[in-house]
Amino acid sequence: MDIIEYDALILGSGIAGMTAALHAELESGGRLHIALVSKTHAMRSHSVAAEGGISGVLYPGQNADSEELHAYDTVKGSDYLADQDAVERLVRSAPREIKFFEHIGVPWNRDAHGRISERAFGGMSVPRTAFAADKTGFFMMRALYDEITAHKGIEVLHEHLVTSLIMDRGRFLGLYAIDMATGKPLLLRARACVIATGGFARVYGFTTTSYSSTGDGIALAYEAGLPLKDMEFVQFHPTALVPSGILITEAARGEGGYLVNSEGKRFMADYARSKMELAPRDIISRAIISEIGAGRGMKHRESGLDYVNLDLRHLDSRIIDERLPMIRDITNKMLHLDPGRELIPVRPAAHFTMGGIHTDIDGRVMLGPAGRAASGLWAAGECACVSVHGANRLGSNSLSQCAVWGRIVGEGIARYAARHHAVEEVRMLKKRAEAEEGRINGMLEGDGHEDPYAIMGAMRLTMDRYLYVYRTRSGMARAVKELRALRSRLRNIRVKDRGRIYNSNLKDAIELWNLLHLACAVAESAVRRKESRGAHFVLEHPERDDRKWLEHTVIMKGLGGNRVSYIPVRVSKWKPEKRVY
Amino acid sequence: MRYSRYMIFLYAAMLGVPLLLYIRIVSSIYGLAFLSSVLLAAAGAGLVIFGIIGFDEVYAHKGSSAASIAVVPDAQRPVKHMNRAAVHGAEGSRTVAFRIRRFDAESGSLSWRSYMLEADRLTTVLGALVELREKQDPTLSMRYSCRMGICGSCGMVINGKPSLACETNVFDSMTGGEVAVEPMYGHPLLKGLVTDFDDFFEKHISVNPWIYRKGGGKFNSDKVFGQSREQTDRFLPYSYCIMCGLCQDACPVANANPDFLGPQALSQVYRYHADSRDQRGDARIFDVDTANGVWGCEFAGACSKVCPKGVDPAAAIQLLKGELFNTVAEC
Repeated sequence: MDIIEYDALILGSGIAGMTAALHAELESGGRLHIALVSKTHAMRSHSVAAEGGISGVLYPGQNADSEELHAYDTVKGSDYLADQDAVERLVRSAPREIKFFEHIGVPWNRDAHGRISERAFGGMSVPRTAFAADKTGFFMMRALYDEITAHKGIEVLHEHLVTSLIMDRGRFLGLYAIDMATGKPLLLRARACVIATGGFARVYGFTTTSYSSTGDGIALAYEAGLPLKDMEFVQFHPTALVPSGILITEAARGEGGYLVNSEGKRFMADYARSKMELAPRDIISRAIISEIGAGRGMKHRESGLDYVNLDLRHLDSRIIDERLPMIRDITNKMLHLDPGRELIPVRPAAHFTMGGIHTDIDGRVMLGPAGRAASGLWAAGECACVSVHGANRLGSNSLSQCAVWGRIVGEGIARYAARHHAVEEVRMLKKRAEAEEGRINGMLEGDGHEDPYAIMGAMRLTMDRYLYVYRTRSGMARAVKELRALRSRLRNIRVKDRGRIYNSNLKDAIELWNLLHLACAVAESAVRRKESRGAHFVLEHPERDDRKWLEHTVIMKGLGGNRVSYIPVRVSKWKPEKRVY
Repeated sequence: MRYSRYMIFLYAAMLGVPLLLYIRIVSSIYGLAFLSSVLLAAAGAGLVIFGIIGFDEVYAHKGSSAASIAVVPDAQRPVKHMNRAAVHGAEGSRTVAFRIRRFDAESGSLSWRSYMLEADRLTTVLGALVELREKQDPTLSMRYSCRMGICGSCGMVINGKPSLACETNVFDSMTGGEVAVEPMYGHPLLKGLVTDFDDFFEKHISVNPWIYRKGGGKFNSDKVFGQSREQTDRFLPYSYCIMCGLCQDACPVANANPDFLGPQALSQVYRYHADSRDQRGDARIFDVDTANGVWGCEFAGACSKVCPKGVDPAAAIQLLKGELFNTVAEC
């Protein structure tokens, strides 16, 4: 097996990962040899699908906006589960990151004076979301990828699937990867590593996310015995296109779009009188499902899915062209409909996973619920739970989170790598890599009989059914049972394709392994939380309970099964109060 | 001397020589003038017609070249299309024949296989292929990710046309009740429908596709560089490139000459050159003032025809040629 040495590894090539690579390079003055490891072509990571924009107070004072107000909106949006020191760091750093992306080439939408425009977004008191049409994530990704090509210290490893994170006594040692193009195993060694592999919303069938959003890095951390946090909180985006689940950006409502039921009524008046369609996503998703439950939804002919309508017909067509061109393009190509003249069928879909790898405020991965952080290991972006989003993320806070913590961890590893020498321990590393090679070869050469796609389908169905917008105690208990049964079948997975070169069948099997372990963590965390907070709504416990549950859930792999514990939320300025919009 | 100067002479010669000949003919042999102009017009019309249909012909030929269709018996059973989440009892669906040409990495050969797949009026080719992988044949290697036309993964040749599978509707693209799917031959074949992008990315990187700033300021300034809407509009259409590789696949020059930089990289030269924030100046365009740079382009226009994002690389390349001529005129 080839062993390749680097100074630092960045696992994942979305906005957080590429930002981290870039800032590690800049901080070190180009002295580090950095590998950016991606299971896709680096520029194709799921961040490209981010549409609406990135939050940040560019113009304090305008509309009486301030960083303080941005922080308050975020904390309230999180249903008070966010750690408030982390939120303050987010809002303080976000404006600088928007300007940074202007420097590297993002074509921000601008006003008549050439200033970067900001648009309204859900749960935000005033417009503070910078945007590049409705392709903000795409433009940020292209700017980052192009910028990275200018830095020779960063080597991009496209299509390298990492299947194991190798740690020893709390210290990062290396990664085991498969080069998809050749099928060859590689052992990547470095002093420090950032995990930035994104979320895992693909545990659901109906989701806005890319096929690649399989939470690989979170599963690697889990398997390495590291703690995951707040896994029960999964955001359902209210407006996913029926039947594909493709995202229709919240900016469609930010620019003035309405949600209407089968009676043509703007039903949000009954659920969030002041914010209407710009209430936070958890509230709107519940409203849509409630409307459908009350018989005021519609049924999609081809798919049988229930939905409500998004109405953009009253918007000036210039607004759609300038600010929502992709929405026009997508509805046109996918549904043959013109959003300027017809209604768009939408329903809530799994969109963002607030939970993830438990990190401290600097993005260092923690070794346990409390106490020490790991040496040489960071996490940033959606795969990390810092936590700034708490129980419900506000739209456009994710891109700022990726940019802000991308920089923090990038600079962090550069400083760490300058202070620390490479670990000499090779024997342990080789032993672990050989064990991993055995696991992979077992999948490729073994005589298993379980069809990974059947297990995948059953998992998605369970998640869609029992861990959706509204949850019940019995449903969640049932999900735990079903998912554990599915997990036990993983041992006998059959990979039909026995070739080495670009074996996407093997990749699917490995991704399923990751997804299923995370699905179990979601269900096991959810079933224990006996309250409703943000995206986690339990019919039997419809109220938030700050006396008992103002706590983060921490789940980690134990000997006989997962171990769950709780740590307090860091509350500073904003005491929990009733959340009304 | 810079390449664009040679090109000016060449272009002048191409236009001027026939014109001079024509005048010569008219003046000396008076009676044959009418005949010669008819001949010239016919030649011109022929060129125009070739320019319009030439590209489609190239692909029609590629598509029909494989005559043998190996039918896999156990893959004939139709399956219900489940790619779009919880579908129960799909209405208006019908069975569609898919012919898929796949590359066998071990033997290095291409072969066709046929499958029957269920589709309705909203099914995309990608949706059908994902369904195929999950229910019939997981050994079909392919790239796909966002399924909404923004990641650039699923470029392939569908019924002879380089397309994104996720943006191609099955019913709209069917010819004679079937859909033929092939890998992009303009990139080296890897396996199944997957092609190798290393060279394509290398070409992109070789044109220094990033904002250049004199002095510092790019990474440590808290001030925006600023740009008017008009300035943004100059490069915006060229910044839509998703690097899917379809233009490169369609380009007849790139297919014949592997050293040609190709429409994707060249369009990105223009994208950064036209951005008011870039301070690299004319050095950026002088880098591609070469035979395998802008002057390799023969303006077939296939790149712009297949671009799923409306980038129009052909226009970008002609704009670069124009800029180069302008810099010559200024010396």
